[in-house]
Amino acid sequence: MGYYKITCMLYESMTTCKELCHCSLKRLHLNQGQDNYRAKSYGVIRLNDHQGQQPPEPLPVHPAIIQKARFAGGSMLCLKRRMLGLVGFIGGDLHAMSGRLLRCTLRSSAVQQTSGSTHHPQRVWLSSQAPLCGHHTPKHRTGLYGPFTHPKQTLGSSRGPLFTQRVALSQGPNTSTAKIRLRTRLVVTLLFGGGLLGTWWYVRNEKQQNHRLQRIEQLKKVALGQGDFSLLDHRGHRRTKRDFLGSWVILYFGFTHCPDICPDELDKISAVVSALDKDQSLPVVQPLFVTVDPERDNVAALERYVKDFHPRLIGLTGTPEEVKVAGKDYRVYASPGPKDEDGDYIVDHTILIYLVNPDGLFLDYYNRMKDDVQIAESIRNHMKSYVKLPE
Amino acid sequence: MSAPNSNQRKACWGARDELWKCLDDNQDNASSCEQFQKEYEASCPAQWVKHFTKRRDFLKYKEKMQTEGFEPADGPKESQS
Repeated sequence: MGYYKITCMLYESMTTCKELCHCSLKRLHLNQGQDNYRAKSYGVIRLNDHQGQQPPEPLPVHPAIIQKARFAGGSMLCLKRRMLGLVGFIGGDLHAMSGRLLRCTLRSSAVQQTSGSTHHPQRVWLSSQAPLCGHHTPKHRTGLYGPFTHPKQTLGSSRGPLFTQRVALSQGPNTSTAKIRLRTRLVVTLLFGGGLLGTWWYVRNEKQQNHRLQRIEQLKKVALGQGDFSLLDHRGHRRTKRDFLGSWVILYFGFTHCPDICPDELDKISAVVSALDKDQSLPVVQPLFVTVDPERDNVAALERYVKDFHPRLIGLTGTPEEVKVAGKDYRVYASPGPKDEDGDYIVDHTILIYLVNPDGLFLDYYNRMKDDVQIAESIRNHMKSYVKLPE
Repeated sequence: MSAPNSNQRKACWGARDELWKCLDDNQDNASSCEQFQKEYEASCPAQWVKHFTKRRDFLKYKEKMQTEGFEPADGPKESQS
């Protein structure tokens, strides 16, 4: 018994036991009506494995078993039952499960046979014979059948016509249906996976859009920079907020007597604007410098000051009231310190850089920790995701 | 008195950096860095000198906090009555 089992396991069939061999043999025997079949059936046989290579040594195997295994393996009919059979086999419940499986296998092989050739009288006989082997089932061990390959080369030279025919028939339906099944499954899986991905991506985009709109709503509520300012630029021309609508604005509040922070930040802004200028696809950014020290920073002072930075930088000043209005608009804190004997003083003030979009809406701010590369990147992102507000 | 321009700013910052380097080398011994101190005060407006001195004190204090740690201040004392 062990001999047959081992042999057939190598060919991916856990099916064989002596009884089953005999069962198949009996059928064939009855089919053929030849006694000499038995003598030939245990000849040496070479089988190809899946890579088309020969196994290391020839193994004796009953050709009927090969046939049967392939037929059974090619059929979808009893997949579930075969799985059950495997489970049963593993579970050790040999009798019940294996019996079911064997019956099923035989039936399916009979079906395969019938679907194939049309001129074998044995075929009908076979199906009727299916239960025959069922009687042997309590002792049989069965399991999952696997498809075989190329029995043609493997059968002995002397075989009955029935065999050749079976071989020929068994080639086509088995392998092609197996292929089709695999292909179908692959396609279905891919479609399903693709559908899932698509849904996830769509939902994610929706969520991001919602976030953006929410943030815009929040900023509108905060309403920084909603008011209008009217200031003089460093050339003496009057400028209002309306003049800057339609372009992106980088805004900084400072004063010309600032020891270190304002020059640093203005240098940073210049670098940012230069970097953004390099990218032709982005709109042009307008840097603005508004003074928080209107008493000292008049038009001339501003002109001297801004020429040390980016050429497009515009300095803005005005009367203390005008400057106060502009500062309040952006909630800018400014507090002149104590004057020394020279009358010099330092103004403590908010040192943030503000980003304003073409709608005049305050979008973002940057502190001392952000370097010019980070700020440029952030502005680029804002520009890319900019959605014009409906009027 | 107008604000320093770019060159003047850079000169002031240079002098300040020299002074600070000297102070770092001499463990904040002001007497060994008098020359730098004079140069620094000449290059920078008075307000800036005061501002940078305060800045240095703050930086030293921050460094002390980071290296030596600190004790959090006691919270407000609960009133007796």
